[in-house]
Amino acid sequence: MTGQDARTTILTLFRNTGDSFVSGAQISRALGVSRTAVWKKIEQLRLLGYAIEAVPSKGYRLQVTPDVLLPSEVKAGLDTELIGREVVYCAETDSTNLRAHELGKAGALEGTVVLADSQTAGKGRLGRKWCSPAGVNLYASVLVRPPVAPRYASQLTFLSAAAVARAVAEIGDLPVTVKWPNDVLVHGRKVAGLLNELDAETERIHYLVLGIGVNINMDSDQFPEDLRYPATSMMLECGRTLSRRAFACCLLRHLDSLYALYLARGFEPVLAAWQEYFDLTGRIVEVDYQDRRVIGCVKGLGNDGALLLELSDGSPERVLAGDVRPL
Amino acid sequence: MDIKDLRTLIKIVTTTDISEFEWEQGEERIVIRRGQFVAPAPVVAAAPVAIAPAASVVSAGTPTAPAQAAVETVDDGFDTVESPIVGTFYRAPSPDSDNYVEVGSIVEKGQTLCIIEAMKLMNEVEADFKCRIVKILKENAQPVEYGDPLFLVEPI
Repeated sequence: MTGQDARTTILTLFRNTGDSFVSGAQISRALGVSRTAVWKKIEQLRLLGYAIEAVPSKGYRLQVTPDVLLPSEVKAGLDTELIGREVVYCAETDSTNLRAHELGKAGALEGTVVLADSQTAGKGRLGRKWCSPAGVNLYASVLVRPPVAPRYASQLTFLSAAAVARAVAEIGDLPVTVKWPNDVLVHGRKVAGLLNELDAETERIHYLVLGIGVNINMDSDQFPEDLRYPATSMMLECGRTLSRRAFACCLLRHLDSLYALYLARGFEPVLAAWQEYFDLTGRIVEVDYQDRRVIGCVKGLGNDGALLLELSDGSPERVLAGDVRPL
Repeated sequence: MDIKDLRTLIKIVTTTDISEFEWEQGEERIVIRRGQFVAPAPVVAAAPVAIAPAASVVSAGTPTAPAQAAVETVDDGFDTVESPIVGTFYRAPSPDSDNYVEVGSIVEKGQTLCIIEAMKLMNEVEADFKCRIVKILKENAQPVEYGDPLFLVEPI
């Protein structure tokens, strides 16, 4: 039994017992280890922030559950079909997207979710960093294997953005908007970033990694100074600390229902869900293509999700990539 | 010699045990080599160039009009890597990193050649087989269509 499995077993015992004590003997039977080994496991849980009362001859009782993203805690709050049926947790990793790629190549189940407490090399678009301190935010990567041709894979960008927007609105009770195609904003500041990566052959998707970073309880002094776009956290916007676990469960639930909708009815209802948060129609934006910039008025979206602009000379422009900034 | 005759000639040569065949008439020179042969990189008029494992051919025409036929013939031994999606072509993982590949790079199967980005979806295009990059057909940060050829590669 791995450390994580043992922790899960103990936490499940606590959960099933409710407010009463679980005896050391009970735990040692469930784990198949000695009472001394049980004590060691309890100590590990305490290090993770669990407050566990120990009373001689009665056993152990869980008093406080910390806001950790252990698979057992997340799965206990989930009632999803596909997304989150496997949850992998890393206290620290380089990047959850890299872990998800490894799992994807190794044949992991569709719907597998990788969560990390902190990332040492959180990835942004085009080699940029995603600031990933421990204990405050959500860093998640979701593995999906949609049965569509690779050229439709970018539709999933709108799906994950819509799910994140819904979860931020629901858990933080905040006014949320999306910046084309994938940033999620609160009061015009970026609260979440998405980085989706595809592994495919010409005509077949092997898997897609939906990388999701959400600033939940990050404080203002934890943001890097050289931000490209003004950023915020849910806590800074709503004035209270939020449960990361509740957020993770809410996000996975929305991902699950939008993905089911996508598989059943295609892209149109997913794009419609995203458009509920889109407020740039009619606004003037600048698009940075890396080697050039264009400025135009947002006319709407193509049915493939492309951003449709009208440039100052009246010519139409279909935007498929680039950084969009409202002026 | 036209393409049809050339094709017939290759057929004849490949049904025999002949490993190398050379034929010269006036300003036209034909060299056919069979089996493994590492070719010199550039296509030069009147120089023998041959690739492809089974049988290959080079036709170097007159000095005045050499390139066309030669390039076409040589191209037949190459493969193109095509874009799997509509998007933007990036040669490097970030603006200040080195390019994934350059002309002449030898890449292993599975090695990343470039990124195509479409609506924040990053698609790393990988080599399907070990090959040498012969030509890069798109500029960095330019839009590409589905199926657009991105690289000309020579299988190794």
